[in-house]
Amino acid sequence: MYADAVQQVIDELGRLPGIGPRSAQRLAFHLLETDPTDVERLTAAIVEMRSRVRFCTRCSNISEDDLCTICADTRREGSVLCVVEEPRDVVAVERTAEFRGRYHVLGGSISPIDGVGPDQLRIRELLARLEPEAVAEVILATNPNIEGEATAMYLARLLEPLGVEVTKIASGLPVGGDLEYADELTLGRALEGRRRLGGD
Amino acid sequence: MPVRRISIVDFRNLVAVDLELAEGRIAVIGDNGQGKTNLMEALVWLTTASSFRGAPTEALVREGAEHAILRAEVESEGRTTLLEVELAAVGRNRMQVNRNRVSRVRDLLGHLVATVFGPDDLALVKGGPAGRRRYMDDLLIASHPRHHSLVTDLERILRQRNTLLRQAGGRMTREVEETLDVWDDKLAGIGEELGRARRDLVVLLRPELADILDVLGDGTRPATMEYESHWLDMGLGPALVEARRDDIRRGVTTVGPHRDDLCIGLGGMPSRTHASQGEQRSLALALRLGGHRVLAERLGVEPVIILDDVFSELDPGRAGRLVGLLPSTQVFVTAAGSLPEGIDVDRVIRIEAGSVASDSEAGA
Repeated sequence: MYADAVQQVIDELGRLPGIGPRSAQRLAFHLLETDPTDVERLTAAIVEMRSRVRFCTRCSNISEDDLCTICADTRREGSVLCVVEEPRDVVAVERTAEFRGRYHVLGGSISPIDGVGPDQLRIRELLARLEPEAVAEVILATNPNIEGEATAMYLARLLEPLGVEVTKIASGLPVGGDLEYADELTLGRALEGRRRLGGD
Repeated sequence: MPVRRISIVDFRNLVAVDLELAEGRIAVIGDNGQGKTNLMEALVWLTTASSFRGAPTEALVREGAEHAILRAEVESEGRTTLLEVELAAVGRNRMQVNRNRVSRVRDLLGHLVATVFGPDDLALVKGGPAGRRRYMDDLLIASHPRHHSLVTDLERILRQRNTLLRQAGGRMTREVEETLDVWDDKLAGIGEELGRARRDLVVLLRPELADILDVLGDGTRPATMEYESHWLDMGLGPALVEARRDDIRRGVTTVGPHRDDLCIGLGGMPSRTHASQGEQRSLALALRLGGHRVLAERLGVEPVIILDDVFSELDPGRAGRLVGLLPSTQVFVTAAGSLPEGIDVDRVIRIEAGSVASDSEAGA
């Protein structure tokens, strides 16, 4: 329907997550109308990102050097590790500014349907970090879905016999929300994970 | 919870239908292929977020259209709830409750609940256990949307576990065992909750079934109803351990709520094989109506009733007795041609070629 060059861009954009054929078309036409230098800046930024960014050799977070900025930061507490599925989850936890330890990125969750078993995740690498880094606590922060919870359970069984304290982030009510609007599943979880107020 | 208004745009062969509705019995008449069942299917989509014919969404959008739009005003406790759904031929559906966007299916559920009698209900009695499990689960979901996540989570865990078993290729390695442990734990928790919920449901259904068959039935053979489960008493965790060797060998999960059944007996014999066609028909009707009563009791309000092309298969006697048993709630009855003698309705809507051809108060 379109000139081959345009169709090619639409096809490529359409492969990106969250981009359907219509959005791909809109983006392609937008790029056609954009100033050529802006387009070059965009392509250059993408190419540069791909050439410079790699994975941290220790925690597998995205990094521009051998070690990511968090692993390289000596002020971070080395005895606490937060285990997440993806690098974007590191960003999410970092935004809280509540966590001063380091991370370990698994690279996904256990999901046989997607061909991912424990061997496909960076679990061996996690185990290898425990002793040299004198890790005392591992916080499991996988996604609260079936696969994420299965992964957390798997890790807990693996880690507990090794004498590390294993904790899991609480799941429950969003801050600033109303109790009456919470769905019963979330509220049920929140009740399950209730804790004593003060006093201890 | 009567439907006060339904409007449908580009759903199947329905181009634009907009009906104000009252309580009482509403007949939807039309020749085959004109769209009367499509109208019911649209209504039921709003109650389950799926097609009762099991059709994929793209089949529901009228050919040539990009979206189908369903909109219903439902009255409950004196207030009106507005349900809106936009079904997309390609891409995601959109759902709104009182103009607020909802993203999860279970947030749509519960606002409108319907009991649907269909022409294929005989399969509930004659067919395999999957239909009866679906029957129980549909009732549980309608009685509490919480059960929706139970049913979908179970399906997902089973898919993961069965994939793992197939990948193992019959060999039990340490890695397979360790990963299985995790899925078994999840499966046991959710499976037991669903199994217990189904068993509790059957206890509520049992007296209703007997009561309905007393009126509807043709014989004196007493009916029995049992939730058949080989693991519920020992617990699913231990049962999975026991079955593990077998599961690995066969590459599928051999024990759990997905293997259970609702066993219906007549005079001490399984009704699936030992009941006459007439008895099986009565049983199927009794299952639907019994489910309706249990739901009405649990919800504290009568769900809407839909009788889709049911009378063509029933002899006049049984049809009349069924109508006599219907509670006073909003009832939709579809039929090709005319309704059988003795079935009174308050309104007759005639559908032709996907639109309302005539609409009249009955008797006029």
